[in-house]
Amino acid sequence: MAIALERRVVATQRAKRHRLWRRVGHALTYLGLFAALVFFLGPFFWIVTTSLKGNEDFFAFPPVWIPVEPSLKHYAALFTRSSGARYFTNSMVLSTLSMISALVFSLPTAYSIARWRFGGGFLSIFLLVLRMLPAIALIIPIYIVYKLLGMTNNYLGLVVIYTVLYIPFAVWLLVGFLRDFPVEIEEAAMIDGCSRLRALVQVVVPIIAPGMAVVALFAFIATWNEFLFAIVLTGIETKTMMVLVTSFTSGGTDMFYGEASASVVLGVLPAFAVAFMLQRYLVKGLALGGTKG
Amino acid sequence: MRFAGLAMKRKQWEPLAFASPALALIAFVIVFPLVYSFYLSFQNFDLSVGPEYEYVGGKNYAEAIFRDSRFLGSVWNTALIIAPSLVLELLLGLGIAMLLSRVIHGRPIITALLAIPAMVSPVMAAMAWRMMYGVKYGAINNLGRQLGIIDVYFDWFSSPFVSILAVVLVEIWLNTPFMMLVLLAGLQSIPTELYEAARADGASPWQRFWSITLPLLKFTMAVGVMIRLIDLTKLFGLIFVLTFGGPGGSTETVAFTTYLMGFKDFRMSYAAALSYVIVGGVLVLTLVFIWMQRVREARAA
Repeated sequence: MAIALERRVVATQRAKRHRLWRRVGHALTYLGLFAALVFFLGPFFWIVTTSLKGNEDFFAFPPVWIPVEPSLKHYAALFTRSSGARYFTNSMVLSTLSMISALVFSLPTAYSIARWRFGGGFLSIFLLVLRMLPAIALIIPIYIVYKLLGMTNNYLGLVVIYTVLYIPFAVWLLVGFLRDFPVEIEEAAMIDGCSRLRALVQVVVPIIAPGMAVVALFAFIATWNEFLFAIVLTGIETKTMMVLVTSFTSGGTDMFYGEASASVVLGVLPAFAVAFMLQRYLVKGLALGGTKG
Repeated sequence: MRFAGLAMKRKQWEPLAFASPALALIAFVIVFPLVYSFYLSFQNFDLSVGPEYEYVGGKNYAEAIFRDSRFLGSVWNTALIIAPSLVLELLLGLGIAMLLSRVIHGRPIITALLAIPAMVSPVMAAMAWRMMYGVKYGAINNLGRQLGIIDVYFDWFSSPFVSILAVVLVEIWLNTPFMMLVLLAGLQSIPTELYEAARADGASPWQRFWSITLPLLKFTMAVGVMIRLIDLTKLFGLIFVLTFGGPGGSTETVAFTTYLMGFKDFRMSYAAALSYVIVGGVLVLTLVFIWMQRVREARAA
């Protein structure tokens, strides 16, 4: 009896200690994650508040972390003085066109691999190798050829490159989506007299649309972020946001903070939107495609 | 069904026809330029001299590998940036992923918030950090002064050593989220029964980590490191905006040096040769990595 009681006491003590440790562990877990959030989101917070500061706030000490009177005048300056509106539009147009073009070219290829094992595995490996290829190896010959053809400073020239750069990634993801799609539905449509291409466009596409949207968003953001081809091949009319930002770096480390921070805010906006929309696919998308220039 | 089967057999051109538009584009925009660039790398095409060029054999490659101290220095710089970045991204990514896997409430939202830098362009990240490193108006110096940690305005790009650290910090900020996502996926695929069984056998948290988490996560870690390694060899936009290779070329990466060679000095043939040296290097790295994995697996088996 006494022994049993003692055992129970020891057990509850152990349980109590256990609970205490768990609580400490939980607190530490959340504390660690909070530190991570501060590190990874802090720069965004600072850049947004900086873009809203008045000029006198930059010089103030103690520093102004949150502007008392936020103003949009740096955005206005960016849009009027630095043609920010034009370059933002350029980025939008280029990304949209490349996104559509990458999908149009990749879907039939992915279909061919998914349904007929076209290329017998070799093609898939080849596409994966292309993904590893450094862009620097392409920019020199492409620049020379584009100069000869007069294709620099031209939307089309860039769209063609971006399309090709994202074909490997788009094909890889689309093959996965197409393999999950039941062949029977397509075959039924074809028995009813539909051509294969029509079956693909009118039967398969509407059903795998969510998957295609994922691919499209990744292609969009990848084009948006691309830098090497953009800086070499764009001119004054076709510059993208990435190229515009570099124009603020002259003037040492203390430069035009207002316009520079405003352009960074606009430049990372799509990243924010897409990170939330694509959450489930981030791992696969980032591993296969990369969103970095 | 027989009908459909017949239809499929009759049209043998279809697989090729479906794939050909993309293949044609790849041929024009990737394969042809690569071949052309390979051809160029054996010439002496220099736009600053003129449009004529002639065959010079392996001279460009010999110069790149044996004599060009700037390019060889950039190889060293790239390694100096890659090594700490990879280690810290892996450790931090693993740490955060493990914290996340312990969280019960709000995991999706915290993960999504932490993942944002992974979608941000290196150029934009570099610009934001360049401003934060700013000597007088930068967030870091100002925060340090306000908290009394530093009492002078520190120039983060005054010495090669600190500059490389500054680059590595941005690199970590930008890419740890990717590592975290990959490792979180890996952690979630480990069956919880294993941990329960180990706990029932009285294994300490450290033992559980050492003999369950780590061995089962090894492959995921290897894949993540591999992808990051290959991408780090392409490091360009971040350098372009953050340091432009300075101070004194101490943060010039291989891709950045090749860019300068091609588009500042206009030595097209030489830049083409450099880009092939980089491709070769990446290829060797990839093969070594695959080989190391094989050896380790063979030893484990």
